[in-house]
Amino acid sequence: MIASFDAIETVLALCLTAVALVCLFDRHLVRACSFFVVFASVMTLAWWQLGAPWLAAAELVLGVVLTGLCFFYALGRISPGDSPPLTYDSFNEPRSRATARLLLALAWLVMVGVAIRYVIADMVYSPAEHPLLLAGVVITACALAAFALHRHLLRRLLAFNVLGSGVFMLLAGIAGTSAAAQALITVGLCIAWLGSMLGALLIRQLVHLEGADALGRDGEPKERAE
Amino acid sequence: MMWRFGLFDSTAFDSTFEPLVSTYWALCIALALPLLLGLLAALFPPKRMWPVALASLPLLASGLVLLFAFEQAGLLRWQWQIAGVSLSLRLNGLSVLLLLTTQWIGVAAALYTPGVLRLGEPEPLSRWLWPLMGALLSALSLIWLATDLLTLYIALELMGLAAVGMLLLSGKVAALLAGMRYLLLALVGSLAYLLGVALILGHWGRLDLQGLADVVEPGPVAWIAGALIGAGLALKAALFPLHGWLSPVHSNAWTPVSALHAALVIKASLFMLLQLWSILLPDTFYAPRVIAWLGVLAIVWGGFLAWRTDSLKILVASSTVAQLGYLMVVFPLLLGPDIAPLSRALAWEGFWLQLMGHAFAKSAMFLAAGNLILATGQSTIKGLAGTSRRLPLSLLVFGIASVTLMGLPPSSGFTAKWLLLEAMLISQQWWAVAALLVGTLLTAAYVFRMFRYSFDESAPRHRYQPLAPGMDLIALTLALIAFALGLLAHFPLELMHGGGV
Repeated sequence: MIASFDAIETVLALCLTAVALVCLFDRHLVRACSFFVVFASVMTLAWWQLGAPWLAAAELVLGVVLTGLCFFYALGRISPGDSPPLTYDSFNEPRSRATARLLLALAWLVMVGVAIRYVIADMVYSPAEHPLLLAGVVITACALAAFALHRHLLRRLLAFNVLGSGVFMLLAGIAGTSAAAQALITVGLCIAWLGSMLGALLIRQLVHLEGADALGRDGEPKERAE
Repeated sequence: MMWRFGLFDSTAFDSTFEPLVSTYWALCIALALPLLLGLLAALFPPKRMWPVALASLPLLASGLVLLFAFEQAGLLRWQWQIAGVSLSLRLNGLSVLLLLTTQWIGVAAALYTPGVLRLGEPEPLSRWLWPLMGALLSALSLIWLATDLLTLYIALELMGLAAVGMLLLSGKVAALLAGMRYLLLALVGSLAYLLGVALILGHWGRLDLQGLADVVEPGPVAWIAGALIGAGLALKAALFPLHGWLSPVHSNAWTPVSALHAALVIKASLFMLLQLWSILLPDTFYAPRVIAWLGVLAIVWGGFLAWRTDSLKILVASSTVAQLGYLMVVFPLLLGPDIAPLSRALAWEGFWLQLMGHAFAKSAMFLAAGNLILATGQSTIKGLAGTSRRLPLSLLVFGIASVTLMGLPPSSGFTAKWLLLEAMLISQQWWAVAALLVGTLLTAAYVFRMFRYSFDESAPRHRYQPLAPGMDLIALTLALIAFALGLLAHFPLELMHGGGV
């Protein structure tokens, strides 16, 4: 019984990590957004598996349906207006900047790892017993790297959402699924949805006013970036 | 340190009375009324100043009721149990002061708004400003009162999202790009905060600040949680190396929004940072010193940016970065081992007086700058040439506000800096003294640069747009409050003494 329990968790953790990686590093935007919906669905299963059905329901409604809708709205697939839908991210970063940001993400990974090692002392002896926690660490690190690396605003928004899910997974892994932890995660899900909605409206408005090129400028005015 | 925030175990000091029924009503009004009024105003947008003034009367009254209740009964605490999670709010002298500051500046910004909306070009989204402003004020009031990490998280996020929404409403492309960057950074900052909270919850198993203050012991978990929470909140508070989002956001936003943001939103994150660090890192040596060194850099760099810029709004926004530096420099006197009690008490008083004085002065300055920009139609400093003849009142307000920012007597900036200097001299922190003096000189430099252009008498005459009645008066009132806080400083300082005794 215990062995099968662990097997399910391990499979879920591997699925989560793989789907998150595709979602974060695929330049094809529609595919990345579809994979985000898959990612949120796997998160729902993971909450169910951890014994938090209310959290699973919240993830299903807020994460899968509402946030998913936000992303497809931002892509321009839901209400096609006069501006063309977004399909592909073609912005590039200089290599030196990319390396610096990857190093930062690695430092982050080490720091969170050290903190978790102190909070959960038996992690050192049996790291495989907490596969979802490990998945949370890897997902947050990758999402942070992606957030720092990408310039396309939609991909940064995606990276933020994956980062949020990773942090919620860490929270549940460290603090268990007590009432306080579930309340924190539910609030976090609401905030992530509201933030994504605001971001999606903004992206649509920017594409409408300036065209898709405006999404890669990272807050710089036009003259300086060109 | 904790008693200063009004946080100690209620069983040990059971001197707090059951709060009176009238305080429950006042609390409900203070927390919920801004939001409700905001929603109402979205349905029926007010076109004049008097409906706003009428609607904000109960809000101001609730603040005064809470002030009198605190003066009579001392520390107030309200507690509820909801679905197994216990929530509690507390009201000490500091929370009363910050709550009153929030309400007065919020009402001033709300009174100013109809005039701006009427005189500026009509915007389709302008009615949404009201509910966002209401949500912002409610969230701020909650932050000053909350005593557990969950409530603080909810209020912080509500405040952040409302602030982003307000800053976007002007709808220009530059505003949208700056707002998007602010949104993403604020959201990631709150995730860093959440991860810190997760570590705390996992290690000590509780979220209430009173309980945490008893059980937290220094160690890697406290340090890393403190670092994560500190990084997240510093990003939201625009503390020095993380201030990059501030100027673009302000230069494109509507005037009352900028005033609220610079005066209150940034301060709320700073308040939370100090409160949480005094629980997590009460005796660390390095963390407050790192903040203080960054503060020195902030004073110099922010002052330099404000001195070199051509845009009036960026001048005011960069000056915020520098003024936050003063508050950061005080950190080693508030947190850390081996601080003389006298210098800690002086630093505590100076810190909050400086924070409140800056809140009033900066909101007055933004409103005055907004008046100048609205009247002349120019947003550059050079465009102000000749305003001394036509808009003397707006310039006067700008001047009174800058007196507070420079710290000349008898403003609140002077009193606060006097207290801070005394604390620094007692503890012999000479570099902090030097930073304060350099900051004053730089402030004078950028303020007088602005006045040099505005008193240019040889400028050609432009056609000025007349302002709505009262717009200058609101800014003047705020600037005078900042001034009066220095003259009547004994009143807020006594309230802070009373906190928790």
